[in-house]
Amino acid sequence: MLKDLGTPARSAIRSAGAPLRATGMPRQVRRRRSVLALVILACFTLIVLDARRSAGSPVEPLREAAAGVFGPLESTASSARQPVDDLRDRFAEMDRLKAENEKLKQDNENLTRELNTSDYARNRAQELDKLLKVAPAYTMTPARVIGIGGAQTFSHTVTIDAGTADGVRTDMTVMNGTGLVGRVVRTTTGTATVLLIGDRNSTVGGRLNSSMALGFVSGRGDVAGTLDYKLVDPKARPKVGDRIVTWGSSGNAPYVPGVPIGVVTSVTPNEGSLGSTATIKPYVDPTRIDTVGVVTGPPARPPRGHLPGKGN
Amino acid sequence: MIALRIGLAALFLMVAVTVQTSVLSNIAVAGVTCDLTLIVVIALALSRGPEWGAIAGFVGGLLLDIVPPADHTAGRWALSLAIAGYVAGLIRRETSSGPVGPLGVALTVVLGTAISFFIYSATGSLLHDPSVDWGEFGVRLGIAAGYDVVGAIVVIPLVMWIMGRVQPARERRVVP
Repeated sequence: MLKDLGTPARSAIRSAGAPLRATGMPRQVRRRRSVLALVILACFTLIVLDARRSAGSPVEPLREAAAGVFGPLESTASSARQPVDDLRDRFAEMDRLKAENEKLKQDNENLTRELNTSDYARNRAQELDKLLKVAPAYTMTPARVIGIGGAQTFSHTVTIDAGTADGVRTDMTVMNGTGLVGRVVRTTTGTATVLLIGDRNSTVGGRLNSSMALGFVSGRGDVAGTLDYKLVDPKARPKVGDRIVTWGSSGNAPYVPGVPIGVVTSVTPNEGSLGSTATIKPYVDPTRIDTVGVVTGPPARPPRGHLPGKGN
Repeated sequence: MIALRIGLAALFLMVAVTVQTSVLSNIAVAGVTCDLTLIVVIALALSRGPEWGAIAGFVGGLLLDIVPPADHTAGRWALSLAIAGYVAGLIRRETSSGPVGPLGVALTVVLGTAISFFIYSATGSLLHDPSVDWGEFGVRLGIAAGYDVVGAIVVIPLVMWIMGRVQPARERRVVP
């Protein structure tokens, strides 16, 4: 297509105007280079336009449109790979999904119950105990992962097949039967992008189950989704085997409280400062996420605010 | 004919992006997926030359930038794949006396992977993206290059054969 662009008349004028350049560089090479220059210029324009995110990027509508087209495509492709995935129990797949869905709901209830009985609850003063008893069955929207970013992109994000049409908004908690998956960072009508907790951009408030100490869980960016845990109180020492749950954000966004994150596998003292950093193995294997639940609704009662507790 | 070729190239790129994000990510090796889009871009560049490589790379990369689950600054993959496609097209031009041999194709794919991954990571560093981890760069590049060559064995002959079928009569007349 590009080969037909240069007309003989134009090239004649050009070679007359700049005889040195025309002889030094064939027409094809010049055209090729101008195409490259144009493309690179377009890329830089895009990067500059999109880099200032706070101001509302003009690329956003483009993303919307792309998600509108590719969301259904990815969805179809994901369904097509399901039989490929486990050919042996191809028919068990539907049952498995149903069972998993059931399990998700069950787990959510179990989670609430478990929180009531675990050390997390026992260690807490009475008001938190009360809080945990009313601890709310959140409204969950089940969704399936339809796209996963490769390690080449360095970012740990997945696409799920639920969007604003299903009540999913940005900054909602995403979890599955085993624990915290991440939070919604971007939504379109039919899809949503979830930032996994293993991403380097992700930080979650985490509480040690055994001592109730508060800290921050941040992603390390490696493939297994390993997390770093830094305690707010430098004197508190996490122990290997301690479990960590979210302590929740104000207004339940982006993280609802009490969702298990992971278990401490090793503790190293910080170099040159007080405190220690714990390595956490997440409960959720980031490479094996399939069915997830998005916390779309508030709990039956807001867990905070009703309680006259102090020191919360 | 031109419209058909452009349509075919667009179709290839769309299928590649879809398959790469939703199917191939399930058979990732250590988290690294096969860059199917890059392979298609290289195949287009090898069959049509650097202009096509650059433009196909730009379009394919742009799709990778905006199709979910992408969450990085748009334009980074577009730039990476455009330059990789351009270079691949140049390689075709240098050896235009005959078709590029299998070893040449494999080396082009490795080179394209290295160029695109490096530019993607470098632009991330320049934009202060905290997720870029240069310590992991070498390992991931190695795995990606190997994986891409494996993917290329299947994809590149297919794409080049189809693109060869829709070559304009003007160009085909030159060959005999």
